Amino acid sequence: MIYLDHAATTPLDAQVRAAMLPWLDDVDGYGNPASDHRLGRRARAAVESARAQVAALIGAEAGEIVWTSGATEANNLALKGALEFRGLKGAHVVSSRIEHKAVLDTCRYLETQGTRVTYLTPDADGRIAVEQVMSALQPDTALVSLMWVNNETGVINPVVELAPLLRARGVLFHVDAVQAAGKLAIDLSQVPIDLLSLSAHKLYGPKGVGALFVRKRPRARLAPQIHGGGHEQGMRSGTLATHQIVGMGAAFALAQSQVDAEAARQHRLRERLWQRLQRLAQIHRNGDAAHCAPHILNVSFEGVEGEALRASLPELAVSSGSACSSATREPSYVLRALGRDDELAGASLRLSLGRSTSAEQVDCAADQIIAAVHRLRALSPTWGGSSVATDVETTTAFAGDDNVYMYPAPVWAAFGAVRHAGTLPAADNVVCSQVGSPAARAQLELSARCTPEGVVEAARFRAYGCPTSIAVGEWLAGRIEGCSTAVAIPPTAADIRAALEIGEDKAHCALMGEDVLRALFDQIHRIRR
Amino acid sequence: MPVYFDHNATTRLDPRVLEAMMPYLTGPYANPSSLHRFGRSARDAIERARQQLADLVGCQPQQVTWTSGGTEANNLALKGVADAQPGGRVLYGATEHPAVMEAAESLRSRGRAVEAIAVDHQGLLDWPAFAAQLASSPVRLVALMRANNETGVIQDVTRAAQMAHEAGALMHVDAVQAAGKIPLDFSALGADLMSLSSHKLYGPKGIGALVKRAEVDLSPLHHGGAQERGLRGGTENVAAIVGFGAAAALAVSELAMRAECASQLRDRLERAVQQLPGATIFGAGVERLPNTLQFGLAGYEGEALLMQLDRRGFGVSSGSACASGKGEPSHVLLAMGYPRDVAYSAIRVSLGRDNTVDDIDRFVAVLRELVAAGKS
Repeated sequence: MIYLDHAATTPLDAQVRAAMLPWLDDVDGYGNPASDHRLGRRARAAVESARAQVAALIGAEAGEIVWTSGATEANNLALKGALEFRGLKGAHVVSSRIEHKAVLDTCRYLETQGTRVTYLTPDADGRIAVEQVMSALQPDTALVSLMWVNNETGVINPVVELAPLLRARGVLFHVDAVQAAGKLAIDLSQVPIDLLSLSAHKLYGPKGVGALFVRKRPRARLAPQIHGGGHEQGMRSGTLATHQIVGMGAAFALAQSQVDAEAARQHRLRERLWQRLQRLAQIHRNGDAAHCAPHILNVSFEGVEGEALRASLPELAVSSGSACSSATREPSYVLRALGRDDELAGASLRLSLGRSTSAEQVDCAADQIIAAVHRLRALSPTWGGSSVATDVETTTAFAGDDNVYMYPAPVWAAFGAVRHAGTLPAADNVVCSQVGSPAARAQLELSARCTPEGVVEAARFRAYGCPTSIAVGEWLAGRIEGCSTAVAIPPTAADIRAALEIGEDKAHCALMGEDVLRALFDQIHRIRR
Repeated sequence: MPVYFDHNATTRLDPRVLEAMMPYLTGPYANPSSLHRFGRSARDAIERARQQLADLVGCQPQQVTWTSGGTEANNLALKGVADAQPGGRVLYGATEHPAVMEAAESLRSRGRAVEAIAVDHQGLLDWPAFAAQLASSPVRLVALMRANNETGVIQDVTRAAQMAHEAGALMHVDAVQAAGKIPLDFSALGADLMSLSSHKLYGPKGIGALVKRAEVDLSPLHHGGAQERGLRGGTENVAAIVGFGAAAALAVSELAMRAECASQLRDRLERAVQQLPGATIFGAGVERLPNTLQFGLAGYEGEALLMQLDRRGFGVSSGSACASGKGEPSHVLLAMGYPRDVAYSAIRVSLGRDNTVDDIDRFVAVLRELVAAGKS
């Protein structure tokens, strides 16, 4: 398994783990940092030293770091806290359509509370322009929230240029820097950003801890979102998790020692990956390559369906967008905001590199992707590109032993070992039927050669769509070979579902199978008459 | 090594819990929301832990929502109900933890009427006052802790829940201190919502949970992402969740033993403290957590005594860890009707798994010494 999903999360660094363990393990490492005895003071000192480490990476002061349970909470605290403190719930906020869900969902919530929000649309390169932000400002704009680096495309927004302009206008500026920290140089002593969200687990630190930078001079004031004992200068209550905070500090200190060298290395590898992928025709890089964080490459592939593409790469841990939206399997809203249509947005991969990524891994990943795209394009009835083959039986198997997405076993078996793909040479006794369309992201074609008695001598299929629709094609072609259409009753959608154990969510694939088969049998009956 | 008598503030991670967590601190470590293989095993681990926690508190696993701790769970319960369900007052016990009290008070700024429910001199709910509050005008939510973090006093939550339900109100139970110390049954208590924390029962810090009946409408506290069925956005803290699950499972099997050991030590300590001149045991006459003893010594300031005890190698607290260092007397004792000087004198000893009879005896000896020195 090659892990190219570092933008979703990173493995915990061994040095970071070593820094954390005493606070989980030691006989005097478990004090509550708020306690006033020796164990408490010891934990408090560790928390404060971590605060300084996190501050150092971003050019802040230790007192400007507020611990949270992660970046989602940090983003929530920044937006809701700033607006609530100012009592400006009816005020105006500027953000963008490509923000992380944590910011977007918070903005939507604020809208239900009477806040007006302008969502800026990026240009085709995925970037929000300085002028765009400035011209969206209204007299009562209280806050601008913009991500430094987009988590799906890696595109860098001009937050450094924006910060002084917004300061001059007296507008509070929040930046989600989750993907930027440790990847780009951040110096908040020079850049007048007011609030900045950070996460540990995107930077080889532990999950469950993050931070919000809250500027002291001029002071950015927040209403707390979690009330309680008054921890974190009253901005965020709750017992501090010493080991996690120490882990975040260690991770940020480690990142600081290698940020430049690692960025340059990952940038080289990322370009190597893109170079190699370009052996495929008709692929598109998403986002502005000239303004891009070093670790992310986002590519859309024409002529393949996204779910089938991901399922064809079981040895590759990649993402089709941010992890938060991939479970719902909707095409990325970020790529749609860049102007990609649903089909291309769906057929995209986000490849994100990390410290352990090697040149060999990058090459191997590229080769797996190339093979998968070739195979799926070859299976597609509409693909007219160079990689099409009339008889694709040699390219239909793939290293798909590992059913990571938990397809029904018969679906996975049929998808992984296609034996009846392709078309049959045109002849009087060859018929072909087709249903669906690329726009519907499902298309199934079935062809058959028949004897005068109506026995199917050979059957082939081509399909464009999810693994289930490909499995349906394979199963149908195999099922009707040797069948006599004069006597056999064609399998119905219910038969197909039963044979392949297809669930409710993929019932439409079985229906498509029934339709294409019925059309094929109609044609066979017609030529026999 | 100092003797640690502050288990209501936090507990030492059980080595068996750490062992359960280690694979998620060392192994392929991925975002549980990602679809690939690493993500799936993380998701399975999270669901196993959910079952373990459900077993501890007698609820269904799907009723469990992970949070970053007890404070967030309490905030989610109170603000979540207030946001999702307009109308009606919010009542909370006068001795609640600051996480409940402050969260409830913050609802005023959202236009919600909020009232504290008085307690008697022992710290038990003032039932006639509570009944009158329920009867006077509609109540949306009642928040009452199962056991108090300072005194250890156990509230009759079942009775309060019955009364709340009869008045059409929901019942939230802060069970952070009760879990792992006394038996806890979500449905038997009649709770609609219940908050829990891992680090009070030998699990890791940074993880807690809110248990909620499915029918209770709740708005999320953190927006973003579809984690926890949309109730709590944010990447799951896998290792901590697994640790909480393991700690819960251990609490299930060891609860009776832990309670028995703690109460023997506590009773021994209590008997000795009673002999000290000017000693007051808070909540002495009522049912309390087996591990907790809060007392005051007339003429002594708790914070000063705490520092002396710390120097002598005993880690105790004057009350809640969150409130300490603020120079304010315990709101719990003030609510119980103690004057400020008595409240200022409070020392809380909360015992745990590692404490021994010898620890207690040495502590008592030091206490006697300090008292004698103070008198001279």
